Amino acid sequence: MDLVRDVLDKKLIDREDCQMGRVSGLLMHVGENSQPRITHVLIGGDTLWMRVHPAFARLSSKLRRAWGPKRNEAVKIPWSRVVTVGKDVKLDVEAKETGALDWEIWVARNIIERIPGGGSEEEE
Amino acid sequence: MKKILQLTLGIITSVGGFLEIGSVTTSVQAGAQFGYKLLWPIFFGTICLIFLIEMSGRLAAVSRHTIVDAMRERFGFPFFFVVLVGIAIVAFMVLVAELGGIGFALQILTGIGFPWWALPVSFIVWLLMWKGSFSLIENGASLLGLITISFVVAAIKLHPDWSGVASGLLPTMPQSDKARYGFLTVSILGATISPYLMYFYSSGAIEEKWDRSYIVMNRIIAGFGMFFGGFLAMAVLIAAALVFQPKGIQVDTFPQAALVMVTALPKWGFYLFALSMLFACFGAALEFSLAIAYFFAQGFGWNWSEDLEPSKDSRFAFVYTVIILLAAIPLMLGVDPVKVTMISMALTSATLPLAIVPFLFLMNDPIYLGKYRNGWLSNSIVSIVIVISFVLALISIPLQLIGG
Amino acid sequence: MAAKLLAVVLLVSALACKPPSASEQMDSIISWIGTAGMVGEAWLRHTTPDKYTAHTLELAHNSLIDINSGLFKSLPAGIDSAALDSALTRSSAHIGLMQTLVEQKASPDFRTMLDSLYSDEKVVKQFADSVEAKDK
Repeated sequence: MDLVRDVLDKKLIDREDCQMGRVSGLLMHVGENSQPRITHVLIGGDTLWMRVHPAFARLSSKLRRAWGPKRNEAVKIPWSRVVTVGKDVKLDVEAKETGALDWEIWVARNIIERIPGGGSEEEE
Repeated sequence: MKKILQLTLGIITSVGGFLEIGSVTTSVQAGAQFGYKLLWPIFFGTICLIFLIEMSGRLAAVSRHTIVDAMRERFGFPFFFVVLVGIAIVAFMVLVAELGGIGFALQILTGIGFPWWALPVSFIVWLLMWKGSFSLIENGASLLGLITISFVVAAIKLHPDWSGVASGLLPTMPQSDKARYGFLTVSILGATISPYLMYFYSSGAIEEKWDRSYIVMNRIIAGFGMFFGGFLAMAVLIAAALVFQPKGIQVDTFPQAALVMVTALPKWGFYLFALSMLFACFGAALEFSLAIAYFFAQGFGWNWSEDLEPSKDSRFAFVYTVIILLAAIPLMLGVDPVKVTMISMALTSATLPLAIVPFLFLMNDPIYLGKYRNGWLSNSIVSIVIVISFVLALISIPLQLIGG
Repeated sequence: MAAKLLAVVLLVSALACKPPSASEQMDSIISWIGTAGMVGEAWLRHTTPDKYTAHTLELAHNSLIDINSGLFKSLPAGIDSAALDSALTRSSAHIGLMQTLVEQKASPDFRTMLDSLYSDEKVVKQFADSVEAKDK
């Protein structure tokens, strides 16, 4: 598997076929006497912006401290939860429980639902 | 039966996305100053767009991914971010111009200046996106956009010299005003080969849940639809050539352009022009707002669909809400939409390589397209467009300064 | 490399800042007189609204005044500038009066003014041809 080509930036789909963002980065464990191995898939956070330039990561961090859900770190999904890697990466998790949709929920509750006709993100 | 219905509606969708303030403004200016000599960039641009749109639809139908999805996945976030910044800035300017086009149409109908229409028009565009579905926006705007056929009627009624029209389909240099000719050529190509239409079309294919069974239908829609839109733009140029050029009228302002059909259609020509611009720019404003929001949502992996309630794709809804609100501001301050149009078309030409070069790679990627990858003809066309896009990128800004 | 780029930018900017020639300004004048004539005819046929017609005539009137103010600085030698100035002032005045007559909905007087504008247009076109010939 080519991690950059096959995993990085791919869409993440949860067990109920909901979109939960894209792979921003990968966490690897590099042991002294063992092969490097992927431990986690990262979603959001500074990881994504660090890939453009550290200044963007600092700006992103400042904005997140001032506004939005108070999550300063990327969402980490254990690699063991990856079911398949194809055009998308399928995970054996529920999106809402991972924190991957924190921003979506925050924007829905604090902005969208306050506008008439915005609906409710909790309705089925 | 459903596919046949989509054929009709898909074709008229192209009208709404193809004939808008940019195309009309440049076509009228081109016809007024150079007669039929600038038919060839419309014709050439249309051929290129047919291929690009067909490819956009094919990518979506086969891979179930949009162009933006595939671009982020194949080229990574840093590259996507650069394209996002470039595309977002220019698309925003085009949105300002389209909202301004609606305002201008209302201004000439009512006498109330376009800055006063900025907020109400932006609100209505936003409301349609907030409460409407993709089908409503696509089909409603397209059906109303059929009024633009009046340009074809006007052009035919003016009895053009068809041999002159035919010779206009081949490039010929004018004897004077070469810089202006060059500028209009670049602007027409920028207005015609619009990457935003590609992004919107591939997103629309996903919204409409196209699959591999739509591959043939996609070719028909792309071919006939884009050709029809190009045909309308050529009709505008022909009408302008016959009405304005003999009188030596250079069309620099929107009120002047509004006279293009009064000779051929004395009773209704003025009102048909106003309504054509109103509905065509309305459709274009909806499509550009969606195209920008799609770009952000697909690139960052957010939920997105015009068929979802806003709270279910909150970040997507937030983006189009913010950009429509921001787009009203320059208009309220009296910024001339025609000037914004001309600048945005030159910038579209300048940023075209960012959109087209990655597209060539994507259309040859077996992971996304399998056996439906580009053949030699499609690859040749895209390669030609890439060469042209680099030439346009180099010369568009200098020409804007000198000839614009 | 940076120096070369700067030189190109300065050259392009210099070309862009070049003021329009007398011939180009005369073309603009012909264009606006033509526009006024065209919108006038359309109004007399009752095919354009009053507000739009008045606004377009106002645009034409103001544009003529703007162009006029800069034209005589670049006029080539051998052109009777006094006669040209007189023709342009008449055209501009006729268009201004046409705008007022639209607002008053005075069609017969408007027709008279429009015919006067056509006479002005012929004179201005002759000057435009002379300017173009001398500019080359």
